[in-house]
Amino acid sequence: MTMKYFCITLLSALTLTACIQDDIVFDTVDPEVRISRAVDTIAIDSSYQFEAVYLNNVGVAELVDILWESSAPDVISIDNNGLASALQTGSATISASFSDGTTLVRDEVEVHTGEETVAQAIERSGVIQTTTFYQLEGNFTIEQVDNDLLIEIADDYVASSALPGLYLYLTNNPTTIANALEVGPVQVFEGAHSYTIPNVNINTYNYLLYFCKPFTVKVGDGLIE
Amino acid sequence: MKKQIFLITASILLSLQVQAGGPWPQAAGNGFFKLSEWWIVFDQHYTDEGRIDPNVTTGIFNTSFYGEYGITDRFTGIVNANLFSRNYMNNLVSNTTGETLQAGEAINTIGDIDISLKYGLTAPGNRFPLAVTLTLGLPTGKVGGGTQGNLQTGDGEFNQILQIDGGTSFKLGRNTNSYVSGYLGINHRTKGFSEELRYGLEWGIGLMESKFWLIGRLNTVESFKNGDTAANTTNTSIFANNTEFAGVALEANYYLTDRWGISASMAGAFRGEIIAAAPSYSFGVFYDLRR
Repeated sequence: MTMKYFCITLLSALTLTACIQDDIVFDTVDPEVRISRAVDTIAIDSSYQFEAVYLNNVGVAELVDILWESSAPDVISIDNNGLASALQTGSATISASFSDGTTLVRDEVEVHTGEETVAQAIERSGVIQTTTFYQLEGNFTIEQVDNDLLIEIADDYVASSALPGLYLYLTNNPTTIANALEVGPVQVFEGAHSYTIPNVNINTYNYLLYFCKPFTVKVGDGLIE
Repeated sequence: MKKQIFLITASILLSLQVQAGGPWPQAAGNGFFKLSEWWIVFDQHYTDEGRIDPNVTTGIFNTSFYGEYGITDRFTGIVNANLFSRNYMNNLVSNTTGETLQAGEAINTIGDIDISLKYGLTAPGNRFPLAVTLTLGLPTGKVGGGTQGNLQTGDGEFNQILQIDGGTSFKLGRNTNSYVSGYLGINHRTKGFSEELRYGLEWGIGLMESKFWLIGRLNTVESFKNGDTAANTTNTSIFANNTEFAGVALEANYYLTDRWGISASMAGAFRGEIIAAAPSYSFGVFYDLRR
């Protein structure tokens, strides 16, 4: 009888120690302001609405008062809401900034004036790199195709096929999939391939993030330049 | 479309317990029974290239029953059952904001059950006994548990292990009993898992007039790497196959009475592929019908 109670007590105690606890993720990133909607040339005597987003110290967008400025307000003026007007021939640096009292973050673009408004031709690119001992590498480019985002992974891409449940995300915080956009499961482990993500602006995210769902751990990333 | 999930460590170490007893079948009517708790908590694992990488802290706790019974002097029936198995993963919490980024989860179910039949190839009392064992691994545990499908208490596949054991017993000095044994086995797996080669050595020494037994084990699992991987299946939730492992284990058994005793052990891999990189522990009570 004593042995029976000993067994029950021991097994109960050991089972109760199997409790869910916390793993701490060091997810701080540098806050930034990013001009998310820009233009290359504004037609003289017309206007263009710039947009910017402030990303906080975990890469999440926050609503703040962005300060818009023009380096040449007699060429291109801009109001507090980011509405720019092209006044005469020339160029100006349009900047968006925010200060939380201790840190000033800023982004800027070079804008010209001309006979017609010309959209900004943007193609971004980067290099995928592993952050573990699993093989993951390759170059990629990103471009805006109408309202969709096209990610093209280059032919030099290779990923370990031993990786369980590998997923691709777009994110502004490369340490976690919290607040990230899931692109989908990785189905190609070698060579060129592409992903099309509907209704995503090319300037919304700064990183590709490769994440192993079963192990809940980051495998690699790619800074989008 | 197949969905295959493997248990990183528990299934391997659980089935390794089947090797307890080596090439000595139980005599008819004799038996050995043990109720124990086995557990492992790990926050890193061996990669496919044998390097060590981190993962979310994961725990596996198994309440197991192990029993051997001599059906005849040559045939021994063996059951190794995970009566209660718990698998959990920790919360991921932001160091910056304190928010829970990803909630941890747990499942609690019955685990996998192994049923074995051991046959003594040599007659009882032979100085160099040989025995062959057939083990059937029943997938009674749960696979794909939790909202991410990454919690499990079983490997989800029916496997068969054919193993041969050999050994000998001897005395160290005047009164100290000892034995050595070795085994070689093939694990045939289903549902796209790779076959495995298993082998190991065991050395046991009985101290205090065989009231206290110390056992050391060296166990190895080599994968034939002939199963499915994430590269050749359309289901990207597949867990990688081809686990390999070489590890050592130390077990201590102490007889409190002629028949009842307590047992403790720990084991760890010194090299591996796709396996937890942390020691496992076990503690339990046993009943020896042989005495």
